[in-house]
Amino acid sequence: MKVTLKLNGVETVGDVEPRTSLGDFIREHERLTGTHLGCEHGVCGACTVLIDGRPMRSCLMLAVSADGREVRTVEGYEGDAVMTAIRRFFKECHALQCGFCTPGMLATAYDIANRLPHADRARIRMELSGNLCRCTGYLGIIDAIEKSLDHIHGTDRRTRKEAS
Amino acid sequence: MAKAGVGERLRRKEDERFLYGRGQYVSDIALPGMLHAVFLRSPHAHARIKSTRKPRGREARVFFAADLEGVKPIRSSPNFPGFKGADFPVLAVGKVRYAGEAVAMAVAESPAAAEDLLRDIEVEYEPLDAVMDMKRAVEPGSPRVHDEWTDNVFCEMRFDVGDFEAATKAAKHVVTRECRMNRQTPMPLEGRACLASHDRRTDEVTVYVSTQVPVPAQIGLSSFLGISQRRLRVISPDVGGAFGLKTFLDGETVAVTWAALHLGRPVRWIQDRYEHLVCDANCRDHWYRITGYANAEGKLLGIDCEAWCDTGAYSPWPWPAGIEAGTAPSNMQGPYDVQAVRARAMTVASNKPPVQPYRGVARPGVCFAHETLMDALALAVGCEPHEIRLRNLVRPEQMPYRTVSKKLLDSGDYPEAMRRAVQMIDVTAVRARQRRGEPDGRRIGLGFAAFYEQTAYGTGPFGYSAWGIELVPGLEPATARLTGDGELVVDVGVHSHGQGHETIFAQIASEILGIDPEKVTLRYGDTSISTAGTGTYTSRSTVSGGGAVATACKQLKAPIARIGAHLLQAKDSEVEVRDGRVFGPKGSVSFAEIGRAWYHHPEELPPNVDPQGLTAVAGYKAVDGGVFSYSAHGVVVAVDTDTGAVEILDYVIVEDCGRMVNPLLVEGQIIGGLAGGIGNALLEESVYDERGQPLSATLADYHVPGASSIPDVRIAHMETPSPFSEFGMKGVGESGAIGPPAAIANAVNDALCPLGAEILETPMTPKRVLAAIRAARERR
Repeated sequence: MKVTLKLNGVETVGDVEPRTSLGDFIREHERLTGTHLGCEHGVCGACTVLIDGRPMRSCLMLAVSADGREVRTVEGYEGDAVMTAIRRFFKECHALQCGFCTPGMLATAYDIANRLPHADRARIRMELSGNLCRCTGYLGIIDAIEKSLDHIHGTDRRTRKEAS
Repeated sequence: MAKAGVGERLRRKEDERFLYGRGQYVSDIALPGMLHAVFLRSPHAHARIKSTRKPRGREARVFFAADLEGVKPIRSSPNFPGFKGADFPVLAVGKVRYAGEAVAMAVAESPAAAEDLLRDIEVEYEPLDAVMDMKRAVEPGSPRVHDEWTDNVFCEMRFDVGDFEAATKAAKHVVTRECRMNRQTPMPLEGRACLASHDRRTDEVTVYVSTQVPVPAQIGLSSFLGISQRRLRVISPDVGGAFGLKTFLDGETVAVTWAALHLGRPVRWIQDRYEHLVCDANCRDHWYRITGYANAEGKLLGIDCEAWCDTGAYSPWPWPAGIEAGTAPSNMQGPYDVQAVRARAMTVASNKPPVQPYRGVARPGVCFAHETLMDALALAVGCEPHEIRLRNLVRPEQMPYRTVSKKLLDSGDYPEAMRRAVQMIDVTAVRARQRRGEPDGRRIGLGFAAFYEQTAYGTGPFGYSAWGIELVPGLEPATARLTGDGELVVDVGVHSHGQGHETIFAQIASEILGIDPEKVTLRYGDTSISTAGTGTYTSRSTVSGGGAVATACKQLKAPIARIGAHLLQAKDSEVEVRDGRVFGPKGSVSFAEIGRAWYHHPEELPPNVDPQGLTAVAGYKAVDGGVFSYSAHGVVVAVDTDTGAVEILDYVIVEDCGRMVNPLLVEGQIIGGLAGGIGNALLEESVYDERGQPLSATLADYHVPGASSIPDVRIAHMETPSPFSEFGMKGVGESGAIGPPAAIANAVNDALCPLGAEILETPMTPKRVLAAIRAARERR
């Protein structure tokens, strides 16, 4: 079947089997291997990509269901100031070890940074519930997202929320 | 250059590629003409294979054991007295012995097409009664996992050191506990994976494997495929977590390598999550009965222990069945000054996957046993749990201390670690809070655990050779080479899969040569580069691999100084190598100028220059019994007695791993280990029904800790250099995972104590907590 989608800003046409998942399409057809498949049943979150700007599991979605949609993978953030900050703090806070969960974590972190400027640690933890990491124990990831939010939205982001 | 040597919290060099999606794991590699392998797996835990049939017309793409010409079963039989061997067939032969055992391999143009082939393979089974309980397994009349055995016992070890009879006679307090640590799966985010390709020109087979141990994988593949080591190149690229799982050689990798040779095309196998949760449900599964004999003050005089491990159907390679239970006896005294230990270690076969060492090897279970014993003793004596530990811990003035089991604890102040943990968790405040009671009715509990971590074992009688195994680790090599532009390439045999060796080994090189870590490349995970060394496990790599890097860099100083002195027209004795340069009485030359002289302008070299040039090859032999990190964990929990839920309110860790190369990465190891330990304590269990059907085959059924499961732990470092290692380093990779089951169990039991309830089984799920409370109520 033919599928047409915008992949990291580029109009992409693919010829896939109906059963091909979006994750397999991204990795095996387009050879964008930054998106990792950890469980292929929608729990671990390693395969999280942005679809029309929202974080979604590329393992649970068929490639043909992505027809006409915009898909953004870890390879698709060139020049993006928010992602640049998140990456900087992931490194700063030792938020990754083996790196396998990292692309999915970054997609979720990007969503938190844009959608929840006031998020505290408890809220960040909750938002990360769809992304498993087996190496870091998460604390570095939570630190990195907290620092990214401070950097992007200002260190007074929490108090401003309370005032408003 | 900013300070970047040993002790700095340098940010990781490897992060860049992972943050941009440029990591390269086995599944990211695709070769032209590549085929995909999948495996047909047994639906039964125990059954005889009556007949098999391949799909008509596709026979050439489906393989049973009999088709794998020249392939031998994986054999891992150590020379423990009385050990019964159990060959691990690459594909099942005659019988299947656990649900998920590989029965056939199918190969096709895509994984999906290969799975279509599986659907059309026919296998007729005669189901047999499954052996699923290690206690019932040793009863007469139990079904047998291996027909040719007389029982289901791989091996039984007995251990008796010190004057045990005297200890029992002198004892005023005798306390006994039984503990169970259930089966788990290591659950790295990347499962197992391999890709094999045969080069017709060189006749070499390159096998990409997601492994912690490239050289052992090469040795094992050579043995079981029956081809020379020189024809095998193993590459372990980026590895997405391993935790011990990826130290053993799996049958799938052997079969896939065979298929690549047989079919003349590259073949790749990527394990899926179902396969991992079912076939790699292969760790822990311990049971202990431990009795402590103590004097009136609670000073332990002797320990008596039974340690059992349900080690599954086969003995895996290179770590055989027997290692898990066998680790217990010599560690059962823990970090305490105990003069008599008697133990029996039972390694029992069952219809489950073969058990492998997982982060901490057996020590999370051992610590669970000796630390719940310490709390039971505190209860008997009537003192605070930390107090009983302070009375028994090995004291700093006793260091180096030879345990009754002959381990040499090298250095440190164990009581001070405990005192700091007590202070950090604020025992007085926690006790006051307990007395006050919680507004929500939950019960507060406080728990501690103290333990040592034996790291970087050596080869000798107190190290690996004691196991009688085929592949004895201990020596690690490193090669350091200055390039023509004055930068450094370092090759090592240990593997990095999250540990950050690319950073910390560059820091070690920087410490010795003064070179900027950014100008150091670390190469590893390729048997054509790192031809020796046994890889990364048992918290050995920084001490052993890092020790080798330090030694190689020190050796490299000599030719650098020599050439530098000649270029400076100075005597060898007048120059000094530091900060990436050679300094003489008048001026200095850079490493780049020295590299240029060696590689581009030999006419500028001293006439008697060492023809070895700017390459140093070194090895490092860890001290026989290894070096010992130690730790004190303290935790406060709230237990909801209506729902059985346990919440961790506070967690503190005092850790001493000697000289830290990079404290940031040490903390990363500790916190990551803690997360695994919390999973072990509260969440993770590979459950089976009585017929041996796995009930934890998805991540909805097997609960891995999420971000909300892990509290904001507080870590305090102590830094006692080991007298036995380079810079005084000690390993720390597993430590974080060892303490939590014990500390959390002690905290839960402290909370439940007024109810008369006690729970000594992991994971401490709400169901188990409620059952313990109910049982206590019924007893009254």
